[in-house]
Amino acid sequence: MTSVGVIANPASGRDVRRLTSGASVFDNAEKASMVLRLMHGLAASGIDEVVMMPTAPSVAGVLRRQLATRQPPGSAPLPALRFLDQPVTETARDSERAVAAMVAEGVAAIVGLGGDGTQRLIARGCGEIPLCPLSTGTNNAFPEMREATVAGLAVGLVASGRAGTDGLRREAALHVRVERAAGDRDPVEDLALVDLAVTGQRFVGARAVSRADDLRELLVTHASPSAIGLSSVAAALDPVRRGGRQGLHVRLAPVAAAPRRVVVPLAPGVVVPVGVRDHRRIALGEAVELEPADGSIALDGEREIELRRDDRALVRLVAGPRTVDVDAVLRAAAHEPRRALATA
Amino acid sequence: MSTTTPPAVGGLTSQELLAGYRTMRVIREFEERLHREFATGEIPGFVHLYAGEEAIAAGVISHLNDDDYVASTHRGHGHALAKGCDVDGMMAEIYGRYDGICHGKGGSMHIADLSKGMLGANGIVGAGPPLVCGVGLTARIRKTAQVGVSFTGDGGSNQGMFLESLNLAAVWNLPVVFVVENNGYAEATSNEFHSSGLDVAKRADGFGIPGVVVDGHDFFAVHEAAGEAIGRARRGDGPTLLECKTNRYYGHFEGDQQTYRAPGEVEELRATRDCLDGFRAAVTEGGLIAAAELDAIDAEALAQIESSVARAKAAAVPDLSEVLTDVYVDY
Ligand SMILES: Cc1ncc(C[n+]2csc(CCOP(=O)(O)OP(=O)(O)O)c2C)c(N)n1
Ligand SMILES: [Mg+2]
Repeated sequence: MTSVGVIANPASGRDVRRLTSGASVFDNAEKASMVLRLMHGLAASGIDEVVMMPTAPSVAGVLRRQLATRQPPGSAPLPALRFLDQPVTETARDSERAVAAMVAEGVAAIVGLGGDGTQRLIARGCGEIPLCPLSTGTNNAFPEMREATVAGLAVGLVASGRAGTDGLRREAALHVRVERAAGDRDPVEDLALVDLAVTGQRFVGARAVSRADDLRELLVTHASPSAIGLSSVAAALDPVRRGGRQGLHVRLAPVAAAPRRVVVPLAPGVVVPVGVRDHRRIALGEAVELEPADGSIALDGEREIELRRDDRALVRLVAGPRTVDVDAVLRAAAHEPRRALATA
Repeated sequence: MSTTTPPAVGGLTSQELLAGYRTMRVIREFEERLHREFATGEIPGFVHLYAGEEAIAAGVISHLNDDDYVASTHRGHGHALAKGCDVDGMMAEIYGRYDGICHGKGGSMHIADLSKGMLGANGIVGAGPPLVCGVGLTARIRKTAQVGVSFTGDGGSNQGMFLESLNLAAVWNLPVVFVVENNGYAEATSNEFHSSGLDVAKRADGFGIPGVVVDGHDFFAVHEAAGEAIGRARRGDGPTLLECKTNRYYGHFEGDQQTYRAPGEVEELRATRDCLDGFRAAVTEGGLIAAAELDAIDAEALAQIESSVARAKAAAVPDLSEVLTDVYVDY
């Protein structure tokens, strides 16, 4: 039996960026509809089962209702839907638990519906299981904004083994370890998928990086010139290909004091100048020691680790999760009849 | 992302940090003490305790001035204390004494102090939002920079007047913030049974205003998001719905047997989701504030509540001749 895991984060798309930028609101009912459309795509490859993280009724209840009513005539039988048996705490713990359970069950792929933060949680735990990250909002750099039906077709081919590994892309990640000087605090380790930034904001607070002028350092796994968010700063200086063996390290400064400035889309509807001291490429495996600072470390745009001047923070560019390259999978299927859906 | 506003959280001075902690600790001690005193039967009427939810009142109201307005709920002690109502006057009020801030005639659910911008606790669930629409309209017409903040529970957010207020505030672009304290229950009804979709913030979408969710146990998260929302209101950018996910440590009212809660639920919450513990860890581990300074505040708050209870018990009840004073207003 082939199962595909689905994690749809009901909390994504509701943070303070709704106030500090023009970020759009993504409805939970639409996330449920995306899962249903994904299931139609998976059905074409004969995937038996979808295993989902349980959520509040906002996603799960709507999905159940839609399953009961919307079955277009002539479509392949949908995979069975099963919710994992775990409590709903409405915290990041839910996603972490769900990923662990899916790994333990041996699902063939995991589809993540959410923003950069959600995908980060999944990537921390999914190991070598292929991840298909789907965006549920406009302000993300890692997951793609794409139609779930099509993503379902590609994930189905990967999960059923027909796509081989050609359509899988090895991502890079930024691993960070913070050693605490003061004895009463434990060292912290974490992962970013696109960008890691040091801000002057001292508390994790409402998480989103809401200011540009106190950014001190930025590291990126890749930098696409058409991306939005922190990685756009790196992209304006030196675009770096996704899935390559290099990243970029940028040191920043307040605009007034910086030798160079770039104008970038830091958030939806927010185009601002950012001051740059210098930048350089970093190689896979290379470690960078962050400059001592009081502030916090933001991972993929969200403050996660509070930092003190006497802490020692080391960031390393490492191999990240394997993701499904939807275009590549479907292109290969068109060229190789044995892989095509019609022969299923 | 704003590049011009002053730092929302990184910029909290140690004075502001200590003030936030003091507000939360005073509320906590006030409520813990009422829990014990209510059991003696000496306090008239009903009390609904705010213990567990302190970071919301402290984080939101710290952005308000005396001439900004707060419209509270039946669970209103925390909002009143954070808005600057006198601790002794509050305690005496709850004891029904003449020294109370409403001369003992309001009690827990009708505490008000207009001089502090505290429009009142409110026995009518969901009635705060329409009041702050009035505040907002007044501020707009008189061109002041005042802001109105209402508090509502998850249960209250199902009231028609809550939704009508969102609409009114949106069409009139009023300088108001609707705070929803989502503690998971309306009386004994878990919100799984009273709301379809647990995010109240989502309802903002339907009215074209921003809806934001924050962790209501985290002072810094509430403070930051509320700062943005109140700043928007003051600048004339319109209303915000701010939902804070929280928990109450006690029953719906004092005396509630809480048979609808899972065994160990409250113990778990106290151990893992305590705004005071979280705050202490953040500021002491970050080396911003010494633990001894927080300990001193703890001791002061305890002594302050102790003395307010002693004063309240010693104070006189209102005389019968006072029954109709302060009740009606002549225009
Ligand atoms: C208009 C109205 N209806 C019903 C009640 C009875 N009542 C008092 S509190 C309450 C539940 C309120 O729940 P919620 O809004 O979630 O606030 P919480 O008590 O959880 O803080 C109800 C139904 C009331 N006081 N007013
Ligand atoms: Mg409630």
